[in-house]
Amino acid sequence: MKMVNLTIDGKTVTVPEGTLIVNAAKKVGIDIPVFCYHPKMEPVGMCRMCLVEIGRPVIDRTTGQVVREDDGSPKMQFGPKLETACTTPVSEGMVVLGTSEKAKAGRQDIIEFLLTSHPLDCPICDKGGECPLQNLTMEFGPGESRYLYDEKMHLAKHVPLGELIYLDRERCIQCGRCVRFQDQVVDDPVIGFFQRGRSLEIVTYSEPGFDSVFSGNTTDICPVGALTTTDFRFKARPWELRSAASICTQCPVGCNIAFNTRREAVSGGKWVIKRVMPRQNEWVNEIWMCDKGRFGYHYSKSAERLTQPLVRRQGELAPATWEEALSFVAERFQQAGDGLFSIAGGRLSNEDLYNQGKLTDSLGGKKVLYGTMGGGDLTAQSGLVPGSNFSDMGKETAILVVASDLHEEAPIWWLRVKQAAERGAQLIVANPRPTRLDAYATHLVRYPYGSEAGALLAMVNTLSAKRPDLPEAVANLVRSPELKAAAKAFAEAENAVILYGSEGTGLETSTALAQSCQNLLLATGHIGRINNGLVAVWQRVNDQGAWELGWRPVANLPEAMQAARALYVAAADPAGDDPAYLAEGRLGSQEQAFLVVQDLFLTATARLADVVLPVQAWTEREGSYTSGERRVQRFYPVVPELADSYADFSVAGQIGKRLGLDMEIRLAGRTFARLASETPAFTGLSYARLAEVVEQWPIVGRGDLYYGGTTYENSQGIGVQLPLTSAGGLSWPKLVEVGMPKIGLLAVPITRLYDHGSTLLPSSMLHQRIPEPYVVLNDQDAERLKISEGAAIQLIPAEGGSWLGVRAIARLRSDVPERIVLVPRSFGLPVAGPTVVSVRLAERVLA
Amino acid sequence: MDADTGLPSQSQNGQYLLLRHRDTPSIGELEVYRRLGGFEAWQKVITSMQPGQVTDVVKTSGLRGRGGAGFPTGMKWAFIDNKNWPHYVVANADESEPGTFKDREIMEGNPFQFLEGVAICAYAIQANAAYVYLRGEFWQLAAWLDRKIAEMEAAGLLGEKLFGTDYSLHIYTHLGAGAYICGEETAMLESIEGKLGQPRLRPPFPPSYGLFGKPTVVNNVETLTNVPLIIEHGAEWYRSLGTEKSAGVKIFSLSGCVERPGNYELPLGTTFRELIFTHGGGITGDRQVKAIMAAGASSALIVANEEALDTPMDYESVPRVGAQLGSASVIVIDDSVSIPWLINKTMHFFKHESCGKCTPCREGTFWMMHLTERIVEGSATLEDVELLQDVANQVKGKCLCALGDFSTEAVLTGIERFRPDFELAVAGSAVAN
Amino acid sequence: MAGIIGEILRGLSTTLHMAATKPVTIQYPEVKRPVRPRFKGRHHLMRYDNGMEKCIGCSLCSAACPADAIFVEAAENTDEERYSPGERYARVYEINMLRCIFCGYCEDACPTEAIVLGDNYELSFTDRRSSIYAKEMLLVPVDEGGKPTPQKVEPGIYTRSIPVMQDPKD
Repeated sequence: MKMVNLTIDGKTVTVPEGTLIVNAAKKVGIDIPVFCYHPKMEPVGMCRMCLVEIGRPVIDRTTGQVVREDDGSPKMQFGPKLETACTTPVSEGMVVLGTSEKAKAGRQDIIEFLLTSHPLDCPICDKGGECPLQNLTMEFGPGESRYLYDEKMHLAKHVPLGELIYLDRERCIQCGRCVRFQDQVVDDPVIGFFQRGRSLEIVTYSEPGFDSVFSGNTTDICPVGALTTTDFRFKARPWELRSAASICTQCPVGCNIAFNTRREAVSGGKWVIKRVMPRQNEWVNEIWMCDKGRFGYHYSKSAERLTQPLVRRQGELAPATWEEALSFVAERFQQAGDGLFSIAGGRLSNEDLYNQGKLTDSLGGKKVLYGTMGGGDLTAQSGLVPGSNFSDMGKETAILVVASDLHEEAPIWWLRVKQAAERGAQLIVANPRPTRLDAYATHLVRYPYGSEAGALLAMVNTLSAKRPDLPEAVANLVRSPELKAAAKAFAEAENAVILYGSEGTGLETSTALAQSCQNLLLATGHIGRINNGLVAVWQRVNDQGAWELGWRPVANLPEAMQAARALYVAAADPAGDDPAYLAEGRLGSQEQAFLVVQDLFLTATARLADVVLPVQAWTEREGSYTSGERRVQRFYPVVPELADSYADFSVAGQIGKRLGLDMEIRLAGRTFARLASETPAFTGLSYARLAEVVEQWPIVGRGDLYYGGTTYENSQGIGVQLPLTSAGGLSWPKLVEVGMPKIGLLAVPITRLYDHGSTLLPSSMLHQRIPEPYVVLNDQDAERLKISEGAAIQLIPAEGGSWLGVRAIARLRSDVPERIVLVPRSFGLPVAGPTVVSVRLAERVLA
Repeated sequence: MDADTGLPSQSQNGQYLLLRHRDTPSIGELEVYRRLGGFEAWQKVITSMQPGQVTDVVKTSGLRGRGGAGFPTGMKWAFIDNKNWPHYVVANADESEPGTFKDREIMEGNPFQFLEGVAICAYAIQANAAYVYLRGEFWQLAAWLDRKIAEMEAAGLLGEKLFGTDYSLHIYTHLGAGAYICGEETAMLESIEGKLGQPRLRPPFPPSYGLFGKPTVVNNVETLTNVPLIIEHGAEWYRSLGTEKSAGVKIFSLSGCVERPGNYELPLGTTFRELIFTHGGGITGDRQVKAIMAAGASSALIVANEEALDTPMDYESVPRVGAQLGSASVIVIDDSVSIPWLINKTMHFFKHESCGKCTPCREGTFWMMHLTERIVEGSATLEDVELLQDVANQVKGKCLCALGDFSTEAVLTGIERFRPDFELAVAGSAVAN
Repeated sequence: MAGIIGEILRGLSTTLHMAATKPVTIQYPEVKRPVRPRFKGRHHLMRYDNGMEKCIGCSLCSAACPADAIFVEAAENTDEERYSPGERYARVYEINMLRCIFCGYCEDACPTEAIVLGDNYELSFTDRRSSIYAKEMLLVPVDEGGKPTPQKVEPGIYTRSIPVMQDPKD
């Protein structure tokens, strides 16, 4: 790496060749003002704010040597015009003047030009207080305006670009950051420039408007108040807000976020969350976050939240005190003994899972993770090691994404993988149907639904000399030239990462897939080094954490629950997900199992319960989550807790204490300390370690908001990556035969970002993006079955089961494989894995 | 034809080199053009010359870009990056500069010579595809050129494996949509690529990073029309025309307050006086010439005194009177024209045509237009004139491309050199000083 | 004898002189002295002549206040329910009179001359709750010819939040 020395405003700095002057200046603490430049995008030099005087040493053409003055200093040649610092790379001996009279006049001129068209909106503009234009005007702008007010351009204000983002055309300074972000960074050019000259304006090309899951990021990087979110409109001024660090709970990426809160009069003086902003973590989400996290936090402040324990008396659930409820629960758990059956969902934090697990284990009971995805033990054996970072992956890395529609399952990982591919990584996308990642793939592998593990095994087999007997389906796949090429690229890459999701898989097929993935990594030697390993695209934020703490899903939950005498269900809603439970009227065994539900809302399962225990939302307490990359990150309390409320770990701990167990009931930090001492992977971790930060690049959130945007600086912790636990071994996974049915269709579950999940539906502002329940059929199948686009249909499982009453809209696509029905999860259609179904038109509209 | 040398002499009364249709109206027909020696240079180049040799000949000839910048053409061709393929040629037929109408006449009247020039340029840089970018208003001309290209293809002059060699060339026309900024070479490339017609950052320049990111030569129509003659008659012959530093002939588009506006093909070095009075028939009525805009609307205003009128029109001499020759679109202003009125017109043009990418041009042209509007209306003061000068100086030197800078030329030189006009304009203003 | 009385009278001269002079005491509260022109008393949220509120809910007064006495929550105007010209108005506006130091910075900061400090200084209350002056208490009554807020208006007229300002008159 060749280094270059130059002088900026009198300070010398040495930077790698190719560094832009703006970035070199940052290294010595000089902030050159910019509007259109953003460190995460290619420079365009269009706003002209960064104009500086640049002098270069004169080189003698004949000798190639620097011409010297009499005193030995190099003869400098200053350009006749000011040049833009954001587009000019450094060169040896360069002298940059940003504070000379000419440069300062240049900055003042540009600010004056921008202000001629800019409206007098500061008092009513949401950006006021964190506005780069305001700050730079104060620093560099003219004190008075020479422009006549009546000649100002009057344009449309308050234009909805979709229902999430408002555009104010008068405020826009045509810096192009939003357009370039959508085009270059997320490759979703749903907005663009229209017209030219002074009439240059932003328009949206999609219907619904600004149809991109990353649209909220443009409001962070917009240097003025032109792009604002409808969520935050007029809610508060930035200086009135308090900020608290947290982790997004909508997907396993674990984006670092910051909540802004303020006391609200209309809520009677309560602390209320006003908005969500991303927090910088270059190892997880860089400075971005997706719209689901940004606009999907409202469930934590929903009016439907449970506030009091409920106990069933005379057949009805009635409010009770904590003392009553907990004693009752403890008594019945004691009686149940090893008949205690705990079901926990992946929304719970590490501390919650630890305490509930400890309680269950101490009684000899069984604990089950609510989910349909396997392989969490394998990711602990062959996952990403500390130091791994998607941003560092490029030409020498192969990334295999199998059975995952990443854009829907984990948008930020989709973005990171796409960017790695654009940097030259080999991207192998293996999926039964086309997804949004295909455009960046170097290799595309198609396999039939149900044969995901087979596809990976086929890849292993093309690489190894020995070819053991393979099932028919796998043998066919081995012959595919795309698969062979993909396997070769994977093996030859220096580093390789596999991300596996849950596209069309249930627990068994998913477990087989995870094992096959691990086999491939072991066979090609891609384990145990930085930027190598297995990553699971879980369905919930802390599924990986649950696996680390010994929680496992089971294939047949009703069967597993048969012997239970007490059920302890936390953050899971089996009855809500599968109406079969409701039809039978009871969860668990034939004898009336004692049912305790611990949740935020009165779910369908809670309605069947004997005791309902309310808990705090993650915004009201602290804790930690383990992301899909196995990074443990802390989240902090954002709003004060309600009186007389407890976190999940505290509730479990209090029950345990009543049973005579030594459990932490008060502090999450102490719970974590116990967890760390008992779980090998977490050895040495503590809340203090999780709160450590390092300096990150690009610089955000300092006084120079114009450089990186309004993303928050991370001062509360970047988290710690867990080390690998044990070594995994090659093992032949149990391949489940998922054949195509002779009659009927094969329904497979897929994930959709905007679904009917209970943590998303309370966000009414996203309702336009959340469709009614639907399934996707192959268009030829639909024609055969005489189902037209938009028809209301019902799915009847071949094995029986009462899905009656659950209807969906049929959507027809040609890229769905034949005889397949895609059923999105969390829409009320209980498809837990590949299931044979028959399809019929819904007879009548059901209320 | 020169009696001694047998070579074409300077075009004068029937010896046109570029506007040959004025000598031979049917030269737009392929057989006529070939009968007059057309496409012999093309065949010679493909069958007997190396690409580098072609470039050298054009370099030696001293041909300079006729689109306005006057950059040595051969040098531009030599800059092409030979490590990055494929190469492209783009002929700039956007011709949106007010006062310029020469390329249109060339393409209408002498299309084959132009197309042959494009072809030779393509061979010199080993491009297999060439584009002619025409302004959107030239849609009829584009259809006409398409027919001519089809005729060339039918005659084996374009297409695959020409003249028995491995070299292939296709020429395509491409229409713009009414934007002056697309005459700027990088904005033109963006437009051909289907993107918003806004200039790119330079460096890198088109010969290293051009159309679709590949090395591209962009040349004006008139420049390319000179090329077949240079190949046919030699670089030395071309050097003998014009002046030492500005070789060759130029088509001067004369317009404004003259008796006979139109295109005049004359050697470089002809004086303004000769162009305006001898060929152009002098000023209409019995008015006096007041100012000359040598480069269309992008010009500085030349004070039309004796010295200026006697200045030769070439790239070196015109700067002596404080202007650039540019594309030689000579607009003549007489003493009935108020300079504030004139710069109001140019400002309206630039405000309308600014692409909006960079702040000074986008906001500056808008502001200056409002100021000139008020000055002309009579509702401005002397402070406004000084403000206009200030704003123009603020815009100058800060823009992404030349449009912004050029928009200030007429304004600044107008105020500086014709101050009494402005004082008159604001004297009658209703607004108290 | 006469000398001593004379001395006493001389000594009491100032007292007697003052006894004969008119006292300067103003019999408050029956008689109230008018305040000076720039007196800073109780706040008023002003209206335009047509009855619309001048306050646009920008919170600049709140930011300027050295005592953190002002609390503002803004909301969006619609043409069916319009409180102020432009997009934004103050839905909640509270001043804590116990915190307020009557410095007038809020009046200086206000971009629309909405909050002004008036003449009233008789502001006592008997419990802390009453010291929170809400928007209804601060808004001035509607002038003749004006309509009370919220108003229903034609769309497209009241688009500007900050009107053309004139120079201060005092």
